[in-house]
Amino acid sequence: MLANRILTPILALALSGCVTARLEDEREETTGLLEGETVVVMAKSYHQGNETEADYIRCVEKALGSGKGALNVIPNQKFVDNLFPWFEPRTAPADTKGLDQLMARPGVPKAVKDMGVRYIVWLDGDTSRVTQGGSLSCAAGPGGGGCFGFAWWQDAAAYEASIWDLDDSEAAGTVTADFNGTSFLPALVVPIPLIARTQSKACNGLAKQLKLFIVSDEQV
Amino acid sequence: MNRIIICTCQSTNLKWRRPAIVGFPWNSVARRCSDIAVTSKPCLGSDHLIASINLRSSLVLLSLFAAGCASNVIVEEPTIPKPHIDKLPMDVALRIPEEFNNFVHEENVLGRETWTINLGRANASFFEQLFGYMFENVIILGPDDNALDYKFDALVEPQIEGFEFSVPNQSKTDAFAVWIRYRMQIFDSVGNNASTWTVSAYGKSQKEGLGGTKSLQRAAVLAMRDAAALILLQMNKSTKISALADGPMDVSGLGSQQVADADAPEYSARPASIFAIGGIDDARE
Repeated sequence: MLANRILTPILALALSGCVTARLEDEREETTGLLEGETVVVMAKSYHQGNETEADYIRCVEKALGSGKGALNVIPNQKFVDNLFPWFEPRTAPADTKGLDQLMARPGVPKAVKDMGVRYIVWLDGDTSRVTQGGSLSCAAGPGGGGCFGFAWWQDAAAYEASIWDLDDSEAAGTVTADFNGTSFLPALVVPIPLIARTQSKACNGLAKQLKLFIVSDEQV
Repeated sequence: MNRIIICTCQSTNLKWRRPAIVGFPWNSVARRCSDIAVTSKPCLGSDHLIASINLRSSLVLLSLFAAGCASNVIVEEPTIPKPHIDKLPMDVALRIPEEFNNFVHEENVLGRETWTINLGRANASFFEQLFGYMFENVIILGPDDNALDYKFDALVEPQIEGFEFSVPNQSKTDAFAVWIRYRMQIFDSVGNNASTWTVSAYGKSQKEGLGGTKSLQRAAVLAMRDAAALILLQMNKSTKISALADGPMDVSGLGSQQVADADAPEYSARPASIFAIGGIDDARE
């Protein structure tokens, strides 16, 4: 029993691919979050060619709202619905210049206040397969099946989060996350996947950095 | 590529006369016809034959794979959130065409997959909700209703001018996309054609799960939401529909071709053209 408890995490660590990470932030304004204030995570518009995955948005939302230093996060869809039609992919503001005008629209300030939204985190970027190689073939027959070979692939997750402060309609800064992960799949009858969870690590890394960025009261 | 191994046996004393499927990919499920390669190879011996597999089970399994080559997507009626805009103080009649109650789009993608997208009443429900939010009073007219029996400031007749979609195979991305092109004809209270406006809407959804049904459904709903946002924010600017609240338009200076027959408003839609993503094509006449 004890051996299982010790061996399982060791095995899990041993059976994962390697990931390299780089996180940077660039601050433009002082930040901070008062009690009752919330954060919303949005994807930049696909009308502008953005490819940020829906599951990545959900992951960042979840990571920001849980763990150490958890923030109050308003679900993305609730925010978009409550401010319809001003945050649709076609109509969402592309920069902070139009924020004052947007906040002057009928019903918008009240909807924002009711949800307590102080910061909008705009995500841009995606995870893509950079390269891959190797060869792996599997076969199955009446007597059983098996695989033989070796395959590998490299994923790159590059995301940028722009933080807008709705209190003063200004950009507070940006946080960037660049993660590269290489996965391996050797197979000798049974395949042994050594998967690098690049996107997941990029999600957790970015969320951790965002928490520090938002709650910090660092001066510019 | 998934591989089905068809094990054939030439041994006459076992009375096997037809090939039987005895092996399946153990680690994945075939998703497209093109993913399946069929290989025939000789049996290793009689011990390896599973005698219980007969033609019937083989056909059932084959039909399961064949069914994966046709996808049927049913789009539920969308819910348009209450918008933060001021309603236009006017009475508008919305004529719902027959096709809005049962719109089905069928397309063969690259000669491999057939997609059937059933929007059902989604378009009718979408416009009814949208116009309810946009105008003080809305009268819903069916395709057979006579507009002359009702009083209104303007009559709007939407049509679907084009419906297109793309699947990951085509776009070489992980996303499903839907384009819907609506054409709206606007008439004043006496049947003069006041304006024609074309709206090109676009929705995109990442592929999630093995099939694409849910993603395509979501892309279609997002395209309708996109159209809703555009109509809410641009319709009055592009068509000047609010001016019709002051009375019918003055047609004394216009040619007779711009005056529509309110009794029998049969309009021939222009041929669908290439979509402009996320744009406004104002064809005001």
